[in-house]
Parts: sequence; structure tokens; C-alpha cells
Amino acid sequence: MTPRELFGRLAAWLRRDELDRRLAEEMREHIELLARDLGRDGLPPDEARAAARRQVGNVTRAREESRDAWGFPAIDIVLRDVRYAARGLRRAPGFAMTVILTLALGIGANAAMFGVIDRLMFRPFPYLRDPGAVNRIYLQSTYRGHTNTAVTFPYRRFLDLSRATSTVAAIAAESEWRFGVGQGDATRIRKVAGVSASYFGLFNAAPVSGRFFVAGEDEPPVGAMVAVISHELWASDFGGANVIDDRLKIGTLEYTIIGVAPPGFRGTAEGGRPDVFVPITTIPANFGAWAQSSYLGDYRWDWVSVLVRRKPGVGAAVAGRELTAAYIESRAAARLLNPRVLADSIAHPRAIAGPMKSAAGPDAGLESRVLLWVAGVALLVLAIACANVANLMLVRVLRRRREITVRLALGVSRGRLAAQLVTEALLLALVGCAAGVIVAQWGGVAIRRLLLPEGSDFNLATDWRTLGVAFACAIAATLATAIGPAILALRTDLAAALKSGPREGTYARSRARTTLLIGQGALTVVLLVGVGLFVRSVLSVEAVPLGYDAHPVLEVTLDFRGHTMDSVESVAARRRLLAAARSLPGVSSASRVNSQPFSTNTADLHIQGIDSVEALGRFNFQMISPDYFDVMQTRILRGRPITDADRDGAPLVAVVSEAMARALWAGRDALGQCMHVGIGLHPEAIARRCTTVVGIAENSAQQNLSDDPRFMYYLSAEQFAPADISTMLLRMAGPAAASHVEAVRRALTRAMPGDGFVVVRPLQEIVDDRMRSWRLGATLFVAFGGLALVVAFVGQYGAISYQVAQRMHELGVRAALGARARDVVWLVGWQSVRVGAVAVLVGIALAASAARWVQPLLFRQSATDPLTYSIVAAGMVLAALVASAVPAARAMRADPCTALRAE
Amino acid sequence: MDAPSPLLAGTLDLLILKTLTIGPLHGYAIAQHIHRLSNDALRVEEGSLYPALQRMQVKGWLTSEAKRSPTGRQARYYRITAAGRKQLLSEEKAFRASVSATTLVLEGIKP
Repeated sequence: MTPRELFGRLAAWLRRDELDRRLAEEMREHIELLARDLGRDGLPPDEARAAARRQVGNVTRAREESRDAWGFPAIDIVLRDVRYAARGLRRAPGFAMTVILTLALGIGANAAMFGVIDRLMFRPFPYLRDPGAVNRIYLQSTYRGHTNTAVTFPYRRFLDLSRATSTVAAIAAESEWRFGVGQGDATRIRKVAGVSASYFGLFNAAPVSGRFFVAGEDEPPVGAMVAVISHELWASDFGGANVIDDRLKIGTLEYTIIGVAPPGFRGTAEGGRPDVFVPITTIPANFGAWAQSSYLGDYRWDWVSVLVRRKPGVGAAVAGRELTAAYIESRAAARLLNPRVLADSIAHPRAIAGPMKSAAGPDAGLESRVLLWVAGVALLVLAIACANVANLMLVRVLRRRREITVRLALGVSRGRLAAQLVTEALLLALVGCAAGVIVAQWGGVAIRRLLLPEGSDFNLATDWRTLGVAFACAIAATLATAIGPAILALRTDLAAALKSGPREGTYARSRARTTLLIGQGALTVVLLVGVGLFVRSVLSVEAVPLGYDAHPVLEVTLDFRGHTMDSVESVAARRRLLAAARSLPGVSSASRVNSQPFSTNTADLHIQGIDSVEALGRFNFQMISPDYFDVMQTRILRGRPITDADRDGAPLVAVVSEAMARALWAGRDALGQCMHVGIGLHPEAIARRCTTVVGIAENSAQQNLSDDPRFMYYLSAEQFAPADISTMLLRMAGPAAASHVEAVRRALTRAMPGDGFVVVRPLQEIVDDRMRSWRLGATLFVAFGGLALVVAFVGQYGAISYQVAQRMHELGVRAALGARARDVVWLVGWQSVRVGAVAVLVGIALAASAARWVQPLLFRQSATDPLTYSIVAAGMVLAALVASAVPAARAMRADPCTALRAE
Repeated sequence: MDAPSPLLAGTLDLLILKTLTIGPLHGYAIAQHIHRLSNDALRVEEGSLYPALQRMQVKGWLTSEAKRSPTGRQARYYRITAAGRKQLLSEEKAFRASVSATTLVLEGIKP
């Protein structure tokens, strides 16, 4: 079809009614003229008219043929089929609603999961130019079979990697921090990204005001004190006013605002959006002299992530090879400074130019794996929904068999018939898809809160990628659900079906439908086993004794923002703040600590008589002030806690965990033993210095939740680092610690010297973060497993009901022959239970064979737990029984009289 | 006179295009013209003229406009376009080629 013809047809289609009228008029005119001419030849008027009509032929056919020229016959046929399908569905609203809802749940589950996974793993960052050519760099080493993947490196390593210039067109550095931004009461913790000047070149983004910083402004040792703020910060905190050249305090430093990023610009930040971008070389200045000298002087501080744009035509693997060479050279340089950098022959170092989102990278972590599993679960839900719908459609075709037979007998082609069935399925799937997007938007809000960083956009109406996936799901569902019925309709034996009487034939078992029922039942069993395992796993996570009670505790981090104090002032300030915290309303006790749970540190530790303490495991320490054990509710099993008497100048003391006492001094009393702790002194001095064990505390989870041996020791903060510690833990009197956060933040920020401020958050959040990936898996599995169960239950119920309806006649005959109600119920129930039982067997076999991949995602929970499997099996059989209850009750009412009368 | 022969498939378009080269005509006039020129030997089922006219309009070979005829009746006049003339040339050539080839075969085999 030429473009001109296409246009002509379209134009004609738009005016087709007018054209049709005009054509009818023209042909009438033609007949009249012809009749007139025939009349002149001598025919009487009515004969002339009749002859003219004959000569012109069938006017209606001519009009219909013309109609084919005005428009697109194929589309007309499709539209006719759609109208036909819609009419048919309007007559069967129960069927249509069931199918649409079932598909909506299946498609919605997939759209929501895709929306989340796409955002976390695959969707390119906004404004990123040619995302396919940009990579995040991952550095890996494999030592003793264990692969370590790093996404942040020392700044010097970034400089070393910059030498890989033959495959890399541009290289940029980025580092994310949370700093106090602003001054006084307006100070808020915000995400600050330190980036190289080359960073902005990765994007197609222009500042809405001012400029981005340029090469030369990010030169070491300290870059220019300039800042670009996000469009969102500009709108919320500055009201969109002109801010260029304004001063802005970020962390401990004063910056000048030089630009405003475009709306939605988030750089390459995973998680929350950075509000401020500053030259990366100004970041170390925030952390004082140590950071300032270390970041250029050695390779010890991992804090920079590196992004590259490959040259055109260069693959990621090729760039990875050149970067690996640069990495190996960089390691050689590091080895000159620190001989403990492992030899390359042992460490097998390599650089990977990998995905921009580290959640899709080589070390994606537990959460990504859980998410991919859950996405698989969503697909299963869709499969179950499709099996269910296919079954309903089969039933519908069986019910309409007479109608179909008659139409076939009247000459409808089987192809057209199949096309109409597919159209009906497509219509249902598309409506289901639309409803599914609504479901996804709705349910997605909950999932988003669970998974995505705060402030992520999750508007599916404008999210073409997710809409596309929902549409693809709908098409797949159409194919999956329409093919069976279409084949059935095509195979209908015309003669036999026409012959069969008004009773629509007798009940016939359908192998296809039974297979579908068993299939969806088996998949449901797999999901329910997953639900059981994940729920039991999360229960065991929550049952892990932590050795402390985090619920009523607030964590307060002090940020002095570079307010310079000598050590005496510094000690005094910290003591004053602890006293201030103690006197706050609602605070029952307070302690200083040097680290949070799960972020505790190690130090060199030597014990007389033990060659290598490190070989026994990881020993972490926590520096505390006297009330610590009270604040955390960690019990002292023997000896004493650390007290006010353990101050500077007094003999050094330590409290050790029970596990540590047993590991180091097995069979002996740990109390009174001497430890050499490598903190703050030269090695020779440490060997002479004894820290005496004065107490044994219960084990507590300070490294991680899982099976580590919990080797912990507690030192007196006043003895080891009186001036440095900047974290406090406050125990609140009531259980609702979170409600005090704002009051505590205000009161203690006012007590801080200079521009200092405090950050307060419930300690439970830190504990919850640790449990997150397990909770996540359990929550999503429960949600989708529940969904699957509902869908499968409805399917089973529908199938059994239909069978009973089909068998009413037969059951009536049975009743007439003396079958009792009990026998009839048994007949129906047994059939349902039998299908359920086979589904259970198949499902359990499937689940057991998937067990070894699920195992790593579970916490102290066997993936082949017999109890879980048994409960699911019993539950499924029970569900099958319940699904047959209503149909069985209906079967009981089968009337022998009706049956016999029909005979 | 022999009974009128049915049209060879596909020649209706050709006849209409050729007829319209004399000038704009309405449907009845086109039918009359074809009858006359073929000495009534070609039988056009006149109804089938109209779908053909619609098809050719959509393809852009013809245009039409409503005009008053010399006898004062309202009628729709069809006019051949430049594209229509081009189509006519190529169809005419193809038709002649086909006829002469068919004739060659018919005359080559004498019973």
C-alpha cells in the first residue's frame, strides 16, 4: 500500500458514512437515467425501471465492496470481533469479572515487582548520556577461595585507574556522605556527593542556574570551595531565589553556591538523591588532618567510587582488561607504601567495568537475590492465574459448544472462529492489564516503602518501561489462555456435536483441565512452601537473642563541625553533653560508646600463651562509659561492670563476653586475666601494658546477627579515648523511644558548642536494618503466596462447580438408583481432594528440587524442613476439600425426578 | 449479435481510465461510453463500476466533484489525475503485451 493510498483510505474511512450516502444517491441516479433511456427505446416505464435495476445489478453488494476501499478491511474485521467479544462478555459478567480480576492480580504483581527491580537494578540514571557506554568500576580479588568485591577505593587508586586511556573516554569519581548542611537550627543532615569535575560530563544535564564546576576546581590537595545544589533543595530551602554566590555551610566547611542542577538530577547516587555536589577533593578536609594526609599519601581509605565512559566501539570486557592492568600497577604502587598488600599471584586482582547500579553488579548482596527470587514468584503467580483463566475459558468453550457447532455448520471458517476466541482472550487480558496496573500502583506503594529509597518516584502511569512489561504480560497471558480453547474449538467434531441431544452431552473428564488444575495447584504448593520457609526464617532471625534491648534506646551522634577544642575542652564538652542528656525528660540512663552495634571495630590483641588470637576468630571491642550495661540491658554474668572508678590513671580494665572468655581461657577463670590491647600505643608499650578482665558479660550481637561466635570486649572510654568518642546511647523510660527523637535533637543541638549539631535515631532502626533482607523476603513471599492461594482456590472452586453442574443429570440418576446424600458428597469431595493430592506431590517435588538455591537466603532454617512441607501439604488438601464444599452441597440436591423426566 | 462477453479480469480499471481521458464524466456516462465504443460487445455489470471508481479514487488515480450536468441534473463527475494517467500508460502496455502474447500462443497451435 503506497503512502498516498494509505492516506486516501484513512481520509475515506473518516467520511465513510457520507461517501456511502453519496454512492447510494449516485447509483439511484444511474438507474433513473438508464430507465429513462430504456423508456425512450420504447419500453413501458415499470418494465424499463426493472430492466435498469437488472442491468445495474446488486446495489448493496456494490456498496459493501466500496466500503472495503474506504478504510482497512482487516481492521474492520478486528473491530467487529472486538465488538462481538465485548457483547459475549457482557452476557457473562461473572466469568468476565473472575478472569479480569485473576489476570489483574497476576499482571499487577509482575508490574509492581518489575517497577521496583527496574528502579533498583536496571533503569539508567536520569540525564545519563548514552547509558550503554557507561560503567561502574568494581575491583575484585580472590584470596583462599573467597572473592572480595569493592565498589569504593582510595582516591589514589582512582588517579591510577585514570591512566587506562586507550579504552576509556572519560573517568569520574564520586563519593557520597551525609553532612550537616546549613547553620543553626536550620541545620539538617543531607546527602552530599563529592564528585570530580569530569563527573558532569557523563550527563546531558545543564544547570538551571549558574554553572557546574570545571577541571581545575577539583585539583588536590584541596579543591575549590564551590557547591552545586539540587533543584529540589533550591526549591524547598531557598524558594527558588537567586542563590548564586551565596555561602553554604556543608559539614565543617564554608562553600559558595555556583550552580543549581536540573530537576530530578541525582547523579549516579544509589539510594537517596544528593542535595549538594561539591568537588571530591574538598571532602577529606571535612575529616581533619588524618584524612587530608591519608587520601593523597596512601591506599588505606576506601571512599571513592569510579565511573567510566568507554570509547566508542570498546566493549566492557576490553575496558575491564585495560583497567585490570592499571589496577595491578596501582597495587604495586601501594605495595611500596605498605608491604602487606598481597602479591597478585595470591590475590588474583581484576577490575570489572560493570553495571552502573551495584544492586545488579558482581557483589549484589542478599537483598538483590531475594528480590530476583520474589520476581520469580510474581511470575509464578501469573502462571497460576493463566492456568486458572485457561481453565475457565475451556469451560466456557465447552459450554458454548452447541453455539460454536451451529456457527461452524453455517459456514463460519474455523480460522475466524479461533480468531474470535483469541480476540476475546485478548480483550480480557487487556482489561486485566489495565486493572493490573492499578493494582500495581496500589500495591507498589507498599512495596516501594519497603524497598526503594525515600522520595523515589513510583508513578506507573508515566512509567513506559513498566507499562510495557505489563502489556507484554497481557499478551503472554492471552497466548497462554487462548490457545487451549482455540484448539478445542477447532477440533470440535461437527457431526457428533450436532447429533448430541439438548443435554449438551454427558459429563466428560477433560485431561487438559485436570492438568491445568494440578499445575496451578503444584505451583501454589511451591509458593506456599516458600512462604513457610521465609516466615520461619524471619521468626528465627527475630528469635536470635541479641544480648541487649534496643527498643527503648536512642542513638545520638555528636557533630562538632570542626569546632576546634584542645583535648581538655574536648573531654569536658563530651562529659557536659552526657550530663545534659541524662537530665533530659524521659531519659533514664545514658552512656557514651565509640561505635554502634554491628559497626564495632577490631584491634590487635595479644594474650600470653596464645600464638595468634586472630586465628581463633574476630574479636571486636566497644569503648563505653559506666552506664552502658544498664542502657543496653546487657547482663553482667560474673565480676563487675565498668564503673566511674575506671578513669584515666586507674589500672586498665575490660569486660569480656562469655564466648570470648571461654575461647581464650578455656577451663580457667577469665576474671583477673591480662590482655594486651593494641590501641593508642607503640607495640613495645602494648606488650608491657596489661588490661585486666574484671567482668564477664552475656554474649551480644555486635558484629552481625548470624553465627559468629560473638567475641566482644568492652573497654573504659575514659581510659582509652576520652576525647574522641562522639556517640551516645540514651535509654528512654517508656517503650516509644522514637517519639522523643525530635525533642532530644533540639535540646542537645542547643547544648553543642559552635555550629555543632546532633543526629538522633532509634537504635532499633539499626537492628531492623540487619533483619531487613529476611523480613523483606518473608513479607513479599507472604503477599504473593497469599495471592496465589486465593487464585488457585477460586480456580479449584470454579472447576469443581462446573463439573457438578455438568453432572447434575448423572447425579440425579444416581440418586434415583438409591445413592444417598453422603455418597454424592463423597463423590464430589473425593474428586477435588484427589486433584489436590496430586498437586501437592508434584509441588513438593518441585519445591524440594529448588531447595538448594533457596537455602542461602534463609536464616538458620533448612530449605527442606519437613514440618513446613507437611503443613503446606495438609493445608492444600484441606483447601481442596473446602473448595468442593459448596458444589458438593449443590450436588446433594440433585433431583431424581428432573433427571428421570429428562431421560 | 453475439451475447456480450464478460470483461477480462482487471480490465475494468483500464477501460475506466481510458474513457476518462476524453474528459470528466459521471458514472452513467462512463458506462454508456464503454458500451458504445465496444459496440455493445462488452458487458459491464454497471453496479460494479462504482466500487471500482471508489477504489481508484482512494488510490489517487481519479478525483470527483459534484456538478450540474448539461441537462440540469446534479451528478458526480470523475476526472483522471496525473497519477491516473501514469497508471493508464503502464496498464495499457501490460494489457497489450499480455494480449499479443496470448494471441501468439493461440495462433502457434493450429488444430
